[in-house]
Amino acid sequence: MRLGYQLAIAAVAVAALATLPSWGSAVIVQFGTSALILAVLAQSWNIIGGYTGYASFGNSVFYGLGGYGVAIGMVQLHWPFAAGLALGIALALAFAFLIGLPVLRLRGHYFAIATLGLAVVMTAIVSNLEIAGRNIGLIMPLVKGDTWFYEGSLALLAATTLAVAWISRSRFGFGLIAIRENEGAAAVMGVNTTLNKVLAFALCSVFTAIAGGIHAYWITFLDPESAFDIGLNVRMIIMAVFGGPGTVFGPVLGAFVLSAISEVLASKVTSLASIFFGVVIVIAVIFMPRGFADLVRRFRQSGWRYFQENIRAHGV
Amino acid sequence: MQLLWQIIVNGVLLGGLYALMALGLVLIWGVLNIVNLAHGALIMLGAYAGYYLFTAAGIDPFAALPISMLVLFLIGYAIQRGILNLVIRGPMFNTLLITFGLEVVITYLAQVIFSADFRTVNPPYAGANFELLGATVPFVRMLAFVLALGLTLVLWLFLEHTRIGRGIRATAQNLVAARLYGVNPRRVYALTFGLGSALAGAAGTLYGVVSQINPYIGGALTAKSFAIAIIGGLDNSLNVVVGGLFLGIVEALTALYIGPTYTDVVSFGILVLVLVVRPTGLLGRTA
Amino acid sequence: MTRIVLSVAAALLFAAAPVSAAPVELGASVQLTGKDANTGRYYGDGYQLTIDKINAAGGVKIGNSKEKLTLKMLDNQSDVNLSVRQYVQLVTQDKVNFLLGPFSSNFALADSAISEKYSIPMIQGGGASDQIFSRGYKYIFGTLPAATEYFSSTVDLMTKLNPAPKNVALIFADDAFDVSVADGTRALLNKAGMKIVVDQRYSDKASDFNSILSLIKSQPVEAILVAGHETEILNFIRQAKTLNVRPKFYSFTVGVPTADFRNALGNDAEYAFGMTSWLPSPTFKDDYFGNAEQFANEYKKRFGYDADYHAASAAADVEAFVKAIEAAGSLDANKVRDAISKLDFDSLYGRIKFNAAGQINLPQTVVQVQKGKLVAVFGPKGMMEKPLYPMPPWGQR
Repeated sequence: MRLGYQLAIAAVAVAALATLPSWGSAVIVQFGTSALILAVLAQSWNIIGGYTGYASFGNSVFYGLGGYGVAIGMVQLHWPFAAGLALGIALALAFAFLIGLPVLRLRGHYFAIATLGLAVVMTAIVSNLEIAGRNIGLIMPLVKGDTWFYEGSLALLAATTLAVAWISRSRFGFGLIAIRENEGAAAVMGVNTTLNKVLAFALCSVFTAIAGGIHAYWITFLDPESAFDIGLNVRMIIMAVFGGPGTVFGPVLGAFVLSAISEVLASKVTSLASIFFGVVIVIAVIFMPRGFADLVRRFRQSGWRYFQENIRAHGV
Repeated sequence: MQLLWQIIVNGVLLGGLYALMALGLVLIWGVLNIVNLAHGALIMLGAYAGYYLFTAAGIDPFAALPISMLVLFLIGYAIQRGILNLVIRGPMFNTLLITFGLEVVITYLAQVIFSADFRTVNPPYAGANFELLGATVPFVRMLAFVLALGLTLVLWLFLEHTRIGRGIRATAQNLVAARLYGVNPRRVYALTFGLGSALAGAAGTLYGVVSQINPYIGGALTAKSFAIAIIGGLDNSLNVVVGGLFLGIVEALTALYIGPTYTDVVSFGILVLVLVVRPTGLLGRTA
Repeated sequence: MTRIVLSVAAALLFAAAPVSAAPVELGASVQLTGKDANTGRYYGDGYQLTIDKINAAGGVKIGNSKEKLTLKMLDNQSDVNLSVRQYVQLVTQDKVNFLLGPFSSNFALADSAISEKYSIPMIQGGGASDQIFSRGYKYIFGTLPAATEYFSSTVDLMTKLNPAPKNVALIFADDAFDVSVADGTRALLNKAGMKIVVDQRYSDKASDFNSILSLIKSQPVEAILVAGHETEILNFIRQAKTLNVRPKFYSFTVGVPTADFRNALGNDAEYAFGMTSWLPSPTFKDDYFGNAEQFANEYKKRFGYDADYHAASAAADVEAFVKAIEAAGSLDANKVRDAISKLDFDSLYGRIKFNAAGQINLPQTVVQVQKGKLVAVFGPKGMMEKPLYPMPPWGQR
């Protein structure tokens, strides 16, 4: 299906989803907001992980900085929400440029580990900062009513997806894909790999930070462990990978599907939900490492042999 | 001055245990190219093995080491053979993800089977200590330190001088050639992972004596092991010892002079710094 | 997990029951798994036991009829974020009548924002830090005494010891509760004329206290006060032994009153001081259980482990709701909320009366481990049993 058609369908879906708060129960709205925020995270990870091929475990840093920007802005400096959000974005961008520059020079799993280390460092640093409430965290002023957060998250997801759609068609995006496929060749061909990588990192930092800010204000509570949660980072990666990295809608679908299943499990049998993601990861990586989109496409060709082929290709 | 000396002694002893913790991770990483995020979970299982051997069978934890190592070897072998062998030639990122998934599953199962209660292994000599030039040296930590160095040496000898060890290294370097020589990669990989797990198990059993055990200790220990592995360098086991000692001493000094809440900042800050500036580690050779 | 299934099944059964009974639903998100589960279970079990006991007596009296209580309890896996979301679910989806709290000040701090947001009263017995009660919230109540006062009776006892310790080390974790305790304790120690020679904050993820202990050893410290969590305190004591750190006196905010903790340490638990706002003594009379001792016996019989003040606090929360509902004569959130603020009754946990900010005021009894037993040495009425002081060196026990 051509991208144009896909976007048109998506626009209709967005319009439909926007009406949810008027007919859905409070719980559906709450779940929806959660799923939308996760979709934003998966989609922005898609930019650096899916398109550029740099598996970042540091997106949770952007998320946390966005949250702390809002928290510090509103609680300590008594700014309005928008100003706090701007602060969060500024912090995330600064991090993306200053730290991104040296760290993006690393390849493959070294990059992943470096970003993992960064997440731990940020958690430790923030838990020592007086202004951030140290390890206790900060409590946001109360807002009654969830509709605002839902619509905001929906708008954010639409914006992020549009950005990714633009990337998939632009020279910038082709540059990123070239970097992913063969960075050395891309450099030789004239792609400014450093600039492209850092810009991709910065782009995803903005969307992730906004998501973090909205989430913090919504939950009314923020502490270092939840703000920079590596588990959250892994979850956004799983959703992106499960749905199909490097595609426009894959991460969104992955996020929605996995969120739905997880939520159902959590409200019925809470303990199962925690093991759910673990099992999903193991099964997905073994049987469908290229994501759901690839599964759907190839299944029509190879049927059940698709799974065996994956194992044969990647196993020993 | 005496305080400083005590802190350094603390750091060195801690470093020994750290090195043992990271040893298994480095083996698996260096040889199999698997970044094992479930490493801490394996250490945790080793700790529980030591605990049950002590409380149910009355076996002294140090004497129980060979048993818990064997148990973890079997677990690791099974994991590699049954699960990881299916994805090992794929993108490395996949193994990273799948080991994370395993960590979640293992931790959950541990919590269901062992319950969240914390356990301690308290042999009668747990509190024993002796004085060394004005510093108090806990006996158990000293023993763990010696064992860590010992196991490191044994591992190095094994990899360098035994047929199996050389087989492992050969398979790591050139899979096709190794196959041509009749090496069964599935078994070699499983053996290696089992070995790494056994080392993790040893570290866990010792950890259980100096600290307390619960199903959730895995995550932090994995992170620590990573830091040590990177900082020391992945080339060989000696590097791991240096990495462990370095980190142990740095943490002890940080806790005293900056504050106990800053140790993670320093440890992982150094990790990131090393990755960016000198990715092969403090001692590693540039390939 | 079985408990959750059972309580959900129970709730469903009650929902399906004939129209005359509209049960009163209490909702809670508790740490049943995860790293706080060790203490979280006291709350889950405490809530359940008390609710069953009250239901056995007919339930709660609203106006002219008696209704049964039901408990919708969710496991937050020791994850604060999940806990917050679960409270939102309990209020908006499950539409519970009232909320019971989680364990831990960090959790209570975050979760009380939800009870305030939706104007549903929450009584929690697991959070004591100042911040919970200093935000001007109207719907949160707590049955743990104020964190800042935790060491108050301990410091009193210290001044009466002979020779009284002068140099004190204050060690505390960096979470809401322990930071509050430390803030209050500093003031208490200064007022008592003692000198704080070591004042160290540590990360609540820490398991290695060697640096702090080495620092203590290098100073003329006579008494150590530690505000932390059970697992950390366990490590602290064991490592103190291996480093041969031997103060004359040491006291801990948690752990000592709990049987598990003492068992894990074995002989090393001797001489340690702690505090508890509750003891299973027959002097605490209760309308439902008879007295605290009977509560403790029933608890042990049903769950297989000893109750401690966490469980008693949880039981008190349920009883407070029942008394408030009966006083208000309705299930209206605001009427019950006002009734809670006016409560004043005796229970197995002591006197339940909340101050203007919503916090209870219970004196702490100082306890000490003597020959394997927990002995009350100093209470609100002064000296009780004789404390063993100073602590002998590790080698001579």
